[in-house]
Amino acid sequence: MSATIEAPRTIPPAAPDEPDVPRRLGTRRSASDKAFRAVLLTSGAAVLAIMGFVGAFLLLRAWDALSQAGWSFLTTQAWEPDSGNFGIAAILVGTILIATVAVVVAVPLALGVALYISEYAPTRIKQSLVSIVDLMAAIPSVVFGLWGFFFLQGRITDLARWLSTTFGWFPPFQVPGSDPSDPLATATVYTSSTFIAGLVVAMMIAPVVASIMREVFTQAPVGEREGALALGSTRWGMIRRVVLPYGKGGIIGGTMLGLGRALGETIAVYMIISPVFAIQWHVLANGGSSVSSLIALRYGESTPFGMSALMAAGLALFLMTLVINFAASSVVARSRSGASS
Amino acid sequence: MTTMAPARTEVRRQLTGVRVSDLLNLCGAGAAAIALTALLSSQLAPITSPLGFVAVATAVFLALYALLVSLTERGVAVRDRLVTVVVHGLAFTLLAVLVFIVVFTFARGASALPHLNFFTDDMAMAGPLDPLDVGGIAHAIVGTLIQISIALAITIPLGLLTAVFLSEMPGRFARLVRTVVEAMTALPSIVAGLFVYATLILALGVPKSGLAAATAISIMMLPIMVRSSDVVLRLVPGTLKEASYALGAGQLRTVWQVVLPTTRSGLTTAVILATARGIGETSPVLLTSGFTAAMNTNPTQGPMVSLPLAIFQFVKSPEPTMVARGFGTAAVLMLLVLTLFVVARVVGGSNPLKKDARRRAREQQRRARADHRARRAKRTSRPARTDQPVPQEQS
Amino acid sequence: MRRALAPFIAAILLLSAGAGPAAADSFVPVNGAGSSWSSNAVDQWRRNVEQYGMRINYASTGSSDGRNQFKAGTVDFAITEIPYGLKDGGVVDTPPSRGFVYMPIVAGGTAFMYNLSVGGKQVTNLRLSGDVVTGIFTGTITSWDDPAIAKDNPGLALPKRKIVPVVRSDGSGSTAQFTTWMAARHGKAWDTYCAAAGRSTPCGVTSSYPTIPGKGFVAQPNSQGVAGYVAQRGNVGTITYVEYSYALKTGYPVAKVLNEAGYYVEPTASNVAVGLLGAEINTDEKSPKYLTQDLSGVYTNGDKRTYPLSSYSYIVVPTSTQNGFTAAKGHTLGAFASYFLCEGQQQAEVLGYSPLPVNLVQAGLDQVGKIPGADDANVDIKKCNNPTFSADGSNTLAKNAPQPSECDKQGNDQCDKPTGGAAPPPGSKGDTTGGGTKTPTGTKTDGGTKGTGGGTTGTGGDPGTGGSTGDGTTQGTDGTTDGGTGTGTGTGTGVAVAGPSTGGGPVVCSDDTGQCTNVVSMPIETEARSSGSISPLAVVAACLLLVALVVIPPLVSRGAQARKVRR
Repeated sequence: MSATIEAPRTIPPAAPDEPDVPRRLGTRRSASDKAFRAVLLTSGAAVLAIMGFVGAFLLLRAWDALSQAGWSFLTTQAWEPDSGNFGIAAILVGTILIATVAVVVAVPLALGVALYISEYAPTRIKQSLVSIVDLMAAIPSVVFGLWGFFFLQGRITDLARWLSTTFGWFPPFQVPGSDPSDPLATATVYTSSTFIAGLVVAMMIAPVVASIMREVFTQAPVGEREGALALGSTRWGMIRRVVLPYGKGGIIGGTMLGLGRALGETIAVYMIISPVFAIQWHVLANGGSSVSSLIALRYGESTPFGMSALMAAGLALFLMTLVINFAASSVVARSRSGASS
Repeated sequence: MTTMAPARTEVRRQLTGVRVSDLLNLCGAGAAAIALTALLSSQLAPITSPLGFVAVATAVFLALYALLVSLTERGVAVRDRLVTVVVHGLAFTLLAVLVFIVVFTFARGASALPHLNFFTDDMAMAGPLDPLDVGGIAHAIVGTLIQISIALAITIPLGLLTAVFLSEMPGRFARLVRTVVEAMTALPSIVAGLFVYATLILALGVPKSGLAAATAISIMMLPIMVRSSDVVLRLVPGTLKEASYALGAGQLRTVWQVVLPTTRSGLTTAVILATARGIGETSPVLLTSGFTAAMNTNPTQGPMVSLPLAIFQFVKSPEPTMVARGFGTAAVLMLLVLTLFVVARVVGGSNPLKKDARRRAREQQRRARADHRARRAKRTSRPARTDQPVPQEQS
Repeated sequence: MRRALAPFIAAILLLSAGAGPAAADSFVPVNGAGSSWSSNAVDQWRRNVEQYGMRINYASTGSSDGRNQFKAGTVDFAITEIPYGLKDGGVVDTPPSRGFVYMPIVAGGTAFMYNLSVGGKQVTNLRLSGDVVTGIFTGTITSWDDPAIAKDNPGLALPKRKIVPVVRSDGSGSTAQFTTWMAARHGKAWDTYCAAAGRSTPCGVTSSYPTIPGKGFVAQPNSQGVAGYVAQRGNVGTITYVEYSYALKTGYPVAKVLNEAGYYVEPTASNVAVGLLGAEINTDEKSPKYLTQDLSGVYTNGDKRTYPLSSYSYIVVPTSTQNGFTAAKGHTLGAFASYFLCEGQQQAEVLGYSPLPVNLVQAGLDQVGKIPGADDANVDIKKCNNPTFSADGSNTLAKNAPQPSECDKQGNDQCDKPTGGAAPPPGSKGDTTGGGTKTPTGTKTDGGTKGTGGGTTGTGGDPGTGGSTGDGTTQGTDGTTDGGTGTGTGTGTGVAVAGPSTGGGPVVCSDDTGQCTNVVSMPIETEARSSGSISPLAVVAACLLLVALVVIPPLVSRGAQARKVRR
């Protein structure tokens, strides 16, 4: 769009009797502008080079492991790169499960906060609430990890036990090896679980998601809101018919963004889970895995080939996050609220 | 009042208000829910978990509340009330938990924080058995500041220039750069750390140091900063730029005197949010900075600890004093992030967290205009891109 | 007490001229990484040499990480329990290309720290034979009431509680030590487990413990991680392998392990020293593995005082200036090595390790000279005050090690003295064991009933509470407080810890910090289903009736009104 707005510096004097032909508009830039554009181009190219190099290097280093493992990289559950028996089936599923738990918990909470701030909160406290939520979104993840490890882990086993005994008929809530009728049953089967890690990550992403949703909800057109109310709608009716449809893009975009954050979270997960290299569907049971915590755990002691395998796992995580991010941005761009989130 | 003059900005009406009967319904349902759940729990199936109790009580409460409201209201109103209660409940829960996390951190760190030496000493003279009045986290604070300064020195010029490049020199190449940058925002921070570990440290032989850590942080921050600055820059009205060009200004001059000043607060927000992310990330630092208990102000030589890494190391220890130090460090880190936001507000002239009233009014006008235009143009369902408000980039 | 020792040590350091590095020396920072097994000692030494201006940065990231980093040249020294060149998971850990030598730093015992309580009372005198340990960590013994465990512990009635083995999730020297022992002594069980976990057999030594999903094993990173996990209050039934010092620090007991002579012993400094008399040290100075250990003689050491899982920990130091290692760093590293080989050994015992014997100190000091830039160690080792040294060169610590008491003999009823960190610190003996009002017979008989689940605990008569006169009476009253559940069985006190005065009441630990405090009594929680006089159905009916009573009248009236309006 801006190619047309460059100002022509020289206007050739029009001869009085010539036919009216369009003038040729050329741009002659000053030296400073040329230098400026060169700098801009260089920095753009530099960023492209850096980012491209990161991606290419990951692929290159991962190639060793990927070519040796072949398709079994996607189906193997174990992680013993040095004996050639490794794959991301278990850790990728573990990562997704943690992220799923996080999103399932975080999105309703975030939606509640976003709706509360944009629709229900008294005007007096609205601005401070917005600030609080945005500030919470910037709390370092290690703080959430601390809270999860030192506070939540010890207290949540009760809930996990109750969930598993009450809703044990739902397969993910089963906890193998637990016997609710045994008074001496150890609480350890409920610790270090996907569920707890997911809860911690949920608390981490909830403010981020809420902040994005709130931003979009407040943009819902005032005219339409008032129209709905004027037609006799209740507040919920107005929200359902005006705010939510308008903010659909923001809800989906925010959720996806939270999902992306949840997939990549390292430290909070590392502090909670006890790594197992088998697909662990039982989210309440001890043991889980995630790609990023695996990298944090194993990077130091890996052989060069093990490093390559870790790179491959990192690459898989990156690609998955990438797909989610692009899906989110395309959904958001097509929504009414636009690409603002 | 319904015939509002079209020129006036629309203001949303306040819809809140409390009736006594609403309050009574709430209290009644609440009391009944607690009582009923307690009865169920004590007599029928023991609910061993307090949280489980709360969950059951909440469900019972909602049912009872719906029942109470339905005695006097019709279905639509009942749903409205229910949703109101649910939204309030969810909001309160999340905000309470988040505030609790912060308070918990401060409370557990409270034993470490009052000691002045906690802020002025490093851990070199403090062994695992030493009490809290020996040793501190000065080395981690300094390390964090040095690392983030280096990272900002790399990312601010590069990131802002690239963002300007994307908006000022559009074309196929810019689109490619934009796509790649957008893709790179998906790079998990640990992978950024792994990349630096594999290249700089293992392949090139750079020691684990503050510089390596700063590089890892930069790689993580750069795409975030470029993307959010780009979004901000795209919001500059084309008319402003055109006016500048029409007055004979060159591109550099236009960018310097029109584009950047217009977007100053937005850009500051972008930079600050990226900084907050960079400061708080543990994983890239974990792989690249090494660990030391002593002050190191030289980023090129020797390990340099930053605040998140110090937290991570402290809380691994079984010693209660070390854990208290870890929480104290976490509190300091949060204060640092808070300070950043305050600084951003002072420097940027407006709070980066919220659009100031003026801009919001402006935006609303813009939106109204855009809506008007859109309606005239047979109401296509998509408003023009230039009318997007400033986003809160979080990704 | 440790704090009180510090000035004393400092005084010795000042007196022993020549032994300590001259304060005027200029030092440059040196970086190291590796074992968390020995990190408690290294961390203390690091702090102690800071006063001479030496800056040693040490990251306890695990032995495997340390060896790898040393190989990659990112650290100046590594600390590890196993040498390079071992085959692990089918891959040989190749030695680095830079020149290096090994040097022993400290000895210690890989202990089995556990968290187990019976009737709310912490068990502190568990004994395990090698077979049982292997069984537990290979998943064949899964419950604490297993007959094999009972055979080791005739005086304990352990509950039917699941055993939760906690293993290391990272590559570690502790795992290597432990698996070396299992491979050597219980190779068959270990190989079976290994094969089930998908490793190739014979499994041999490995640094990363293989886990079989679904077996209920918990994996945690780092010694701090496993010790911290076991030390969480709720994690009853857990057991892990970790250096003895971690048990001391977290205040939890360790299992006494059966040795070749048929005695159950604890990994105290002297028992470790005795055990290591059987270690075969590579004395071939030409060999790249000079000074490394072969521990099979320790496992089979016939001395009654031997702790079978004793071993040395090593520092890997460079002998050439490359990968950023300079003579200046060598100077610092050499001075640090001279320090920990000499004075540093005095603190080993306090920290939960065992000091090196004289021959290894001498050999280590000779190795110091190979570090480029290091001053020749002109240390007079007579002035080191190492508790193992004697005039005739024999190991004093081992020689004077106390013989195990008869109650530690296999087959005998076990001693009731608490072990590891659960033992009362010497200084505070009076507070915890004071009183002694318990009558031995009282607990003995109670213990015999093996705590039949339904019973509550009495655990009364905590020694600290002088008021209680005897177990019999206290338990009697406690029994009644329990209401309907306990009275039926009456004797179900479950205080299975045999013998009197176990040195303290049940220990309550903060779930995260591992800080423990004694409490008077902590009744076990039973799933107290009410002693059902009302049937659940009736309760449901009552609830429904109640709700109906509240709800129906207004609904009916509303319906009636609506009808009226319509009419």
